[in-house]
Amino acid sequence: MNNDVLLEIKGLHARVEDKEILKGVDLTIRRGEVHAVMGPNGAGKSTLGAVLAGRPTFEVTAGSVRYDGRDLLAMSPEERSWAGLFLSFQYPVEIPGVSITNFMKAAVSARRKAQGLPELTPAEYLKLLKEKMAFVQMKGEFARREVNVGFSGGEKKRNEIFQMAMLEPTLSILDETDSGLDVDALRIVAEGVNRLRTPETAAIVITHYQRLLEYIVPDVVHVLKDGRIVKTGGRELVDRIEEKGYESIDE
Amino acid sequence: MNNEVYVIGRDSAPQYLRLEAGEERSVTLVFLPGATGRHVLEVDLVGPGASLDLAGLYLCPGDEQLDLRLLVRHSVGGCVSRQLFKGLVGGTARASFDGLVYVAQDAQKTQAFQENHSILLSDAARVESRPQLEIYADDVQCSHGATTGYLNPDELFYLRSRGIPEAEARRLQMVAFLAPVLRRLPEPLIEEIHACLS
Repeated sequence: MNNDVLLEIKGLHARVEDKEILKGVDLTIRRGEVHAVMGPNGAGKSTLGAVLAGRPTFEVTAGSVRYDGRDLLAMSPEERSWAGLFLSFQYPVEIPGVSITNFMKAAVSARRKAQGLPELTPAEYLKLLKEKMAFVQMKGEFARREVNVGFSGGEKKRNEIFQMAMLEPTLSILDETDSGLDVDALRIVAEGVNRLRTPETAAIVITHYQRLLEYIVPDVVHVLKDGRIVKTGGRELVDRIEEKGYESIDE
Repeated sequence: MNNEVYVIGRDSAPQYLRLEAGEERSVTLVFLPGATGRHVLEVDLVGPGASLDLAGLYLCPGDEQLDLRLLVRHSVGGCVSRQLFKGLVGGTARASFDGLVYVAQDAQKTQAFQENHSILLSDAARVESRPQLEIYADDVQCSHGATTGYLNPDELFYLRSRGIPEAEARRLQMVAFLAPVLRRLPEPLIEEIHACLS
């Protein structure tokens, strides 16, 4: 395993309007690791993911984030994507009028341009699309559908993993990817994530429940409560939360 | 049905249409950047079974003062009219849309639908939308709707988070918004409109 630090969060504070949500988060992630961030509702888990991806709604008021040696907070959402960061949304957005094909084509082209790579030919792009669709067991007509419009909960999450596979991120952040999924969809999602695990990449799995962590086994588990990481441990922490609840985790 | 497309200021567009029994017309009006001033279209549906499918698209990114006045009169029963107007308004432009659908007392079984949707691209842009229905018959199916809003910030962040640069993401959102009208246009004109958006 490559022990390079990929992400280093120090004293991160963030708020939305006047409400402070992150109150000093410290977190270090090395390449090859999968970290679970667990916690009760309202702890700030989704905010952490959103702030890392650069959602403008949140204002970072203190702290720093180094990603792959760079100042992540100084980068635009698109620059973060080009640098290999990927957020799987808890609530994927519907974009009427934009097909999956055109959406991903714009994404892949922009990234290749940013990386100084030549544009894919239509045939190469089609091949990539088909390969990644098969990866999440999506059928042919999927590519022509409007992004997330009329998708079931499971389809939306599979679409997120499909996009993740298309973009081959270095750091994946999965925000409650398990919510609203039946067991079959959960397996497809988890298998997708596991097959994208490499010694060079890392993932943050944000979840309220332990269920997804039966399929995606984390190296490190953090408990986020009221905007701070109050406990860090191994897999045994998941069992303890399952048994005794979040109340049992003290600062 | 043959769709007639008129680029305002370039093509000579009709200001009056009269549809006889069973006649079907599909008309699309395109207002490219720079199109300004008042534009009037009156339509009379005078024979049973006449059908009007009218759409429009307006791009006002600068200081345009666009004033659209549409009047669709159902004088006899059993006719259909559909109207869909969509536009992007930015800069210091002002777009106003007055659409009246008139259904005469004898025009039973009329179906009349009118929609007008605009997106504001700047704080100084203004849109006034006044769709109106004047109905004197009692057995009709009519509706109208108007919305004015901004590009959805959640969509924008979603697109950017996948690496699509902000300007390109906004362009995608605009194309998506206009899509129901763009579909009616010939390819060279669609490309011309795409070029106006970037």
